[in-house]
Amino acid sequence: MDKALLRRGAYAVAALIIVALVIGLYKAKTDAARTEAHVRQLQRQIEESEADMRALRAEIAAQESPARIEALAENHLGVVVGSAGAALPENAIEQRLPAPRAPEASE
Amino acid sequence: MRPVNAATLFTPPEAAYATFGEAAPARNRVRFLAVGLFAMLLLLAGRAVQLAFAGDPLAEPRPVAVAATTRADIVDRNGVLLVTTVRAYALTATPSRVWNGEETADALHRIFPELDRAATVRRLGDTSRQLVYLRRSLSEEDRANVHALGLAGIGFEAEDRRIYPQGAMAGHTLGFTDVDLNPLAGVERGLDRQIREAGAAGRAVRLSLDVRMQYALETELDASARAAGASSAAGILLDARTGEALALASWPRFDPNDAGAASDNSRRDHVAGDVHELGSTIKPFTVAMALQEEVTTSGELFVVSQPFELDGTIIQDHEPIAGITSLRDILARSSNIGAARLALRLGGARQRAYLERLGLTQATRLELGFNEAPLAPHARGRRDVAGLGFGYGLAATPAALAGAYTVFANRGALVAPTLIARAPDAEVERTQVFTPEVTRQVLAYMRAAVVDGTGRAADVPGLAVAGKTGTAEKLGEESVYDDSRNFSSFAGVFPAHDPRYVIVVALDDTGEGAAGGMVAAPVVARTLRRIAPMLGLRVEPGAPAR
Repeated sequence: MDKALLRRGAYAVAALIIVALVIGLYKAKTDAARTEAHVRQLQRQIEESEADMRALRAEIAAQESPARIEALAENHLGVVVGSAGAALPENAIEQRLPAPRAPEASE
Repeated sequence: MRPVNAATLFTPPEAAYATFGEAAPARNRVRFLAVGLFAMLLLLAGRAVQLAFAGDPLAEPRPVAVAATTRADIVDRNGVLLVTTVRAYALTATPSRVWNGEETADALHRIFPELDRAATVRRLGDTSRQLVYLRRSLSEEDRANVHALGLAGIGFEAEDRRIYPQGAMAGHTLGFTDVDLNPLAGVERGLDRQIREAGAAGRAVRLSLDVRMQYALETELDASARAAGASSAAGILLDARTGEALALASWPRFDPNDAGAASDNSRRDHVAGDVHELGSTIKPFTVAMALQEEVTTSGELFVVSQPFELDGTIIQDHEPIAGITSLRDILARSSNIGAARLALRLGGARQRAYLERLGLTQATRLELGFNEAPLAPHARGRRDVAGLGFGYGLAATPAALAGAYTVFANRGALVAPTLIARAPDAEVERTQVFTPEVTRQVLAYMRAAVVDGTGRAADVPGLAVAGKTGTAEKLGEESVYDDSRNFSSFAGVFPAHDPRYVIVVALDDTGEGAAGGMVAAPVVARTLRRIAPMLGLRVEPGAPAR
């Protein structure tokens, strides 16, 4: 009797273990799948954020471009960069910048 | 357990007891095995319970695969963004799901007027294909506009797109890619491998350019090229000690964001992709060669007042120099006769060897998609040797000329130009061409060319520019030089007392009389005035802007 009882008890414990194993495995796999999906979602978010950051950096670079800054400085601050408009006209170079020695220099 | 056989069944009781006595160890082994299996099951169950309830193996720290774009950003030497990759969209259609091809094409045509309506209708009706691409590289705004139409069968695919936030600035240097990000020109192509490797590593490629100097050079070149009616123009600014190109300007400009809309001439890089006979900017080398080979001395006097006949060709100066003149004046006043005589004393072989060592007979190695090889045939006679002495018979790029001028800033050593920013302690390869004494002597003559010679318009008070103008007549029809079409240039170094930087400006197809000293030298002065403070150099504050 004792042996039979022992055997039945062993069977019951083994069955419990198997059930626990099955449930544990199912839960572990479900959690793993859920976590994997979460990781994929996070990676997508990282990619999206990086793409947004790149677009923003490009926008900042465009906003800070020398041409735009120069135009703003001229329009709002009245600062004028030395430009072709302030340059000596080509036909005036000989008159305004004569060679210090005679005869006049030639190309 | 052992099998029960007939012999066992008819065994006498004594023998049977003996058999039972032998079975006891076997039962023990079975028990041990059962206990072992049970223990193993318990362990597995425990681990399963631990995994299920106590811990999450995926929650452990693991490297996150950050999405790396295939091509790296490109930045200037100060980290200013020049090129990056942004998200874009390809407009796609599934023909089998498009209700009405003509209506769909009309709707799309309203948003994208450049879309070929007939071709779109044809493609939308091609049900043999599962998916067709209608447009590439669309922005988020374009995508939203199309979405708002609610067209059946029309969709989008995400893709990458290269954009150039500085617009047309440095467009030729940066180059561009096609819609599939295959490099087509500029550093996009010249540094393709490095850009891909850097992109995979998540870092940027740093160029030697400085956008501030680039802008100044481009602006001044643009204004002068327009004023002079040039067909194209080029400018290059080098740090001669390291070979780093600080600015590389080509005119006409184009916007690499819309490279397809630009003309071939606009897209052409005139700094390293276009060769010209350089004219008198070669003369400092002729003088340096003559001094180096001791075929003349700094004290020798010359008579160059009369045209010089050589094998049936008359060599003359644009404006004759009367009386006796010196080596200094031959350079400062750009005497073709003087340069030709010096070249003839040198001879073709020695002249060629120097030109090769100066890098004027090979294509430059700038990290661009394309470096045009020079046209540098061997001199076939005295006339060719003399012509090479004052810049004819050798066609090279402005980039090659700038590279050669580094000898005047490195005590006679040549440093190859590069577009990659160097580390401060990086080793720089130098090729000694002239001795420091010869270089110093020629530098003094070049300074004289700017102070009281043909390059006066390049002078910036306080900055001490030394250089040489060049005006090469262009070959016209029937291979005859046309004096109404010039390649006008200025090449120089600064500050003359301790040169560090090289600047070359060249304008192509300028009109008659538009000499280098008239159209290129002023660009140099105006540019240097703007960039000197960026280089930590001082100009005289009261000097007039030119």
